Amino acid sequence: MTKQQANWSPYDNNGGSCVAIAGADYCVIAADTRLSTGYNILTRDYSKICKLADKAVMASSGFQADVKALQKVLSARHLTYQHQHNKQMSCPAMAQLLSNTLYFKRFFPYYAFNVLGGLDSEGKGCVFTYDAVGSYERVGYSAQGSGSTLITPFLDNQLKSPSPLLLPAQDSSTPLSEAEAIDLVKTVFASATERDIYTGDKLEIVVLNADGLRREYMDLRKD
Amino acid sequence: MDLNMDLNAPHSMGTTIIGVTYKGGVVLGADSRTSTGVYVANRASDKITKLTDNVYVCRSGSAADSQIVSDYVRHFLHQHTIQLGQPATVKVAANLVRLLAYNNKDMLQTGLIVGGWDKYDGGRIYGIPLGGTILEQPFAIGGSGSSYLYGFFDQAWKEEMSREEAEQLVVKAVSLAIARDGASGGVVRTVTINSEGVTRKFYPGDQLPLWHEELEPKNSLLDVLNASSPEPMNI
Amino acid sequence: MSTSAIDVPPKGGFSFDLCRRNDMLAKKGLKSPSYLKTGTTIVGLIFQDGVILGADTRATEGPIVADKNCEKIHYMAPNIYCCGAGTAADTEAVTDMVSSQLQLHRYHTGRESRVVTALTLLKKHLFGYQGYVSAALVLGGVDVTGPHLHTIYPHGSTDTLPFATMGSGSLAAMSVFESKYKEGLTRDEGIRLVTEAICSGIFNDLGSGSNVDVCVITKGQKDYLRNHLLPNPRTYVSSKGYSFPKKTEVLLTKIMPLKDKVEIIEKGDAMEE
Repeated sequence: MTKQQANWSPYDNNGGSCVAIAGADYCVIAADTRLSTGYNILTRDYSKICKLADKAVMASSGFQADVKALQKVLSARHLTYQHQHNKQMSCPAMAQLLSNTLYFKRFFPYYAFNVLGGLDSEGKGCVFTYDAVGSYERVGYSAQGSGSTLITPFLDNQLKSPSPLLLPAQDSSTPLSEAEAIDLVKTVFASATERDIYTGDKLEIVVLNADGLRREYMDLRKD
Repeated sequence: MDLNMDLNAPHSMGTTIIGVTYKGGVVLGADSRTSTGVYVANRASDKITKLTDNVYVCRSGSAADSQIVSDYVRHFLHQHTIQLGQPATVKVAANLVRLLAYNNKDMLQTGLIVGGWDKYDGGRIYGIPLGGTILEQPFAIGGSGSSYLYGFFDQAWKEEMSREEAEQLVVKAVSLAIARDGASGGVVRTVTINSEGVTRKFYPGDQLPLWHEELEPKNSLLDVLNASSPEPMNI
Repeated sequence: MSTSAIDVPPKGGFSFDLCRRNDMLAKKGLKSPSYLKTGTTIVGLIFQDGVILGADTRATEGPIVADKNCEKIHYMAPNIYCCGAGTAADTEAVTDMVSSQLQLHRYHTGRESRVVTALTLLKKHLFGYQGYVSAALVLGGVDVTGPHLHTIYPHGSTDTLPFATMGSGSLAAMSVFESKYKEGLTRDEGIRLVTEAICSGIFNDLGSGSNVDVCVITKGQKDYLRNHLLPNPRTYVSSKGYSFPKKTEVLLTKIMPLKDKVEIIEKGDAMEE
């Protein structure tokens, strides 16, 4: 496709799904590793998960070029932050930074659908979910990307979270244990892969807890 | 799908088709490529279709349209032959093609060349381009590849050629068009019709003459990679 | 030249006025209802003593898999089968229609159907609808004149080939055929090549997936190998399983009896017996 054509678009959708679940003392961030365009698979082994700080991990789907640009901006901003403050950025701070970065391009947005997972200053799991222009919310769990319409209703059924409007504010993190959360993530991805053509190949799971960061992989359907 | 691939695009035969008269008969020639957009849907198609025992037609344009026209004409000529009790003439066949092409000009995207031999007129070629015009010609060229051949035919076509000369002219012309026209390709097929009958010939793509700056045909990429030069990019 | 000044009276045939209207509405932004499109890989080849057809089993509706195990190899006649790609409803309707015409033709003639008969009926129908019936077919069968394999495009054009592929996975499948097909394959070699071509579509084309269906047709015999290969088993089943206990929440349990809106007055004599 060339630019001269009237229907040319600066965006592409490279598909993929992202899920994050927060627990009392951990956070699970997961995404599949398929990158595709149209009916073609570009690669079966592309990580959608990016470690932004020691306790902040972002999973993104949407347009790979925009995601890559966004990750680059965030890591540059985080480097500046480290030089100025001599410490790692906290997860809630990174959440605000991500929102600002997205809103900065309000009228030519990053075509990126993000979930940010991590541990807050008290060591509790936290998940932040975004739209493409920076609206965000702290939640207990979230799904983004091409499989989100299949995953979200299932998570809603299993993990009903308290309304964010309640006063006093309720703790948003889920009651699951770490092992239960990983098991749930594996189930939702195996199920989403059955019905979403853009999700598949491999599942990458990042677990953040007091011991640090751990990665796991699981095979998904490759068709 | 990317690469502007529209597999739902109607099948069209970006084609080179030729009909040439010679002393005693006619030679019809065609390439064998059928494409949908940039995808070659058939690399060995037969665009020279039989209408009767002594009349053939070269098809170009929309594959669906040219097939339906030749199917109808073949059907009508069958009936006509039975009623007449003798083979149909080339003129009658061409006129039936013209009738359908002209009456349905708003529905059809096809250009045809009818060629054959009959006892009244001998070898005859009729060109029936897009709108349903009919032209009796000593030679006719058609399809997207024909634009590369007008000058060549003005120079190379001679009256009263021998059969061998005419066949060689057709093969040379189609291979020239294949070399320059991206929508033509594959093999060269010829059909020669004269008082003796019909002869089909087939010239595989790797046995065609090489023209200006053309490279030797390779069977597969593996042959290229195993060749003496180990750098695939330096070939 | 191209547009005539006077109106030509219609010559009959199907009216495409609504198609033109729909195109106009689509340009103005109307979303037409989505159909079940079988983003598909279908293939066929001729081997030593007959024809082998193959298909994947995924049906999609946009990015969603609508059916994980559908059948794309349709029955035409006892000796003829047909793989369909395109809009599921169209492939189903067109093959059903032609197979019934073939059945009637067999009752009439008392002879086995020929593949060219099926081919002609299919292409006639599709040409008549000028590509609006979006069915792309691979037709294969063995009749009195031997094995035949054809492809039929939505606009009604047909090809006759020793090996053929169709659908969104046709390029992936054709790359397998173009590198490995040769004349005079044995039955087992043929099935293996067809399976490999379909698998190439299943794994490399997102529109195709799930299982491999194969149909082998030889003189006087056919083998429909439904789910010949199952290369995509479920990857993960939770050891504990899941329950969905919550029902719709009950908001009110008070029952209000229906009230009569019309008062019925008993008047006059009861009907006499």
